[in-house]
Amino acid sequence: MSKFRQVCSVASYNFRGWRRNPRVIITFALAFILCFLLSDKAVNFAKDNKTTMQIVEAFIWTFDDSNSILLTSLLTIFLFSDMPFISSGTPFYLMRINRKTWLNGQVLYIVLATGIYMAFILAATSLVCMSNSFIGNKWSLTAAILGYSGAGNAVALPSVVKTMEMSSPYVCMATIFLLMLFYALLMALIMLTCNILKGQLAGTISVFVFSLFGVVLQPKVIAALFSLPSSLMYKANVAAGWLSPLNQAAYHAHNFGYDLLPRLWQSYVIFGVLIILFFLLALRSVRKYNFNFSGTEG
Amino acid sequence: MNAAISVQDVYKNFGEETVLTGVSHDFEEGRIHGIIGNNGSGKTVLMKCICGFLLPDKGKIFVNYRQVGKDMDFPENIGLIIETPGFLPNLSGLKNLQILASLKRKIGTDTIKENIRRVGLDPNMKKPVGKYSLGMRQRLGIAQAIMENPSILILDEPLNGLDKSGVMDMRELIKELREQGKTIVLASHNQLDIDELCDTVCVMDAGVLTVVRS
Repeated sequence: MSKFRQVCSVASYNFRGWRRNPRVIITFALAFILCFLLSDKAVNFAKDNKTTMQIVEAFIWTFDDSNSILLTSLLTIFLFSDMPFISSGTPFYLMRINRKTWLNGQVLYIVLATGIYMAFILAATSLVCMSNSFIGNKWSLTAAILGYSGAGNAVALPSVVKTMEMSSPYVCMATIFLLMLFYALLMALIMLTCNILKGQLAGTISVFVFSLFGVVLQPKVIAALFSLPSSLMYKANVAAGWLSPLNQAAYHAHNFGYDLLPRLWQSYVIFGVLIILFFLLALRSVRKYNFNFSGTEG
Repeated sequence: MNAAISVQDVYKNFGEETVLTGVSHDFEEGRIHGIIGNNGSGKTVLMKCICGFLLPDKGKIFVNYRQVGKDMDFPENIGLIIETPGFLPNLSGLKNLQILASLKRKIGTDTIKENIRRVGLDPNMKKPVGKYSLGMRQRLGIAQAIMENPSILILDEPLNGLDKSGVMDMRELIKELREQGKTIVLASHNQLDIDELCDTVCVMDAGVLTVVRS
């Protein structure tokens, strides 16, 4: 119990640093602008068609897209740019705890901060379409037009019939929220582990490589790489669905009962295993980590 | 006398740069040990190694007969102050120390207040630490180091930023702590502080520690 209290105390110490912190304010301000820009397509589509939206539909249509997930997740890296969260106050904490407790506190902070950030994204997109929306748990006419008429493809909004037929808006929202959260958490844990293992530069490079891996591993790239004819494009889609972490985080790139793409629970397990793996690696690395505090060299 | 801290053939490199070169020294119990040296000589690095923040590339450090980094991550029962004490700027001095004390739960608010008074600050002052002068922050740092009654104190430039009367007060406090049997390792640029306070004096130069008074 006392260890858990110490872990919470380390995490809350980081949160206390949020107050009037320009980096945190800028991150959330940029996230709001990003939500506004990304959900603009869905909101305008509803306006043009003079239809209403379910309040979380802007979030669903916007973040069922891998590029939107990538952009939003990259902003969390700005939020965590001071990773591994060492300041001139850290020695006072360390002398009263141990390395494992310190790391557990940092991981708890990352999980909570990412959760808060994702909740903000959800709230911001809902706010953007609030004036033209309803809160009932049923799909709107906008969603029906997007899905059934093929208009979704025309405006590049990933609203598909299977999404609407398989779930309700709030369930769909919760699924997309969880997938995005897992993706951002994995990214942050990779950054933390590389930071502890090889320093801050390595942490930044690791995020870049992880993001690039997701971006490059698209069906078109796989098809080109293996010279697949268009008739076998389906195989490239499946391969990208399994191999690309970005596709694992995209709701529509999942198996809803009639293809070989990963099922939702499989993506949760994959993300969960990777997150635990990187957490354990960080836990192991912190035993040999050298804590350097600013302004104390002599 | 017994060694409260025993540093045995410690080497520390940062990349190509060697910061500590075969440092060996026993810091005996109940005495004030001074370390004097220029900026970048390796004083702070040695102190960080003693505290377990930095792990030596070679050699061993024992604090109260337990090896740092092997038997424990960070030595228990050590009070520490470094050059610039870092506190949460939005909170009062008392609140800052309460948060730190809550990690071990060894002491209550009364003891914290008593230690804040001991360094010449008002524990009931509502002013946030962000608005403290450097001297006040330094005093609060010292209160933080001594509040849990540790047997060893690692003080790196503890008198930095203090005015003349503050320096006098802190010198008296450090002497008083020695009278209580505490082992104190004190790093300073100021020869006068070292001469007046310390029982043993070492000079750190380019990562080499030499005893000049024992």
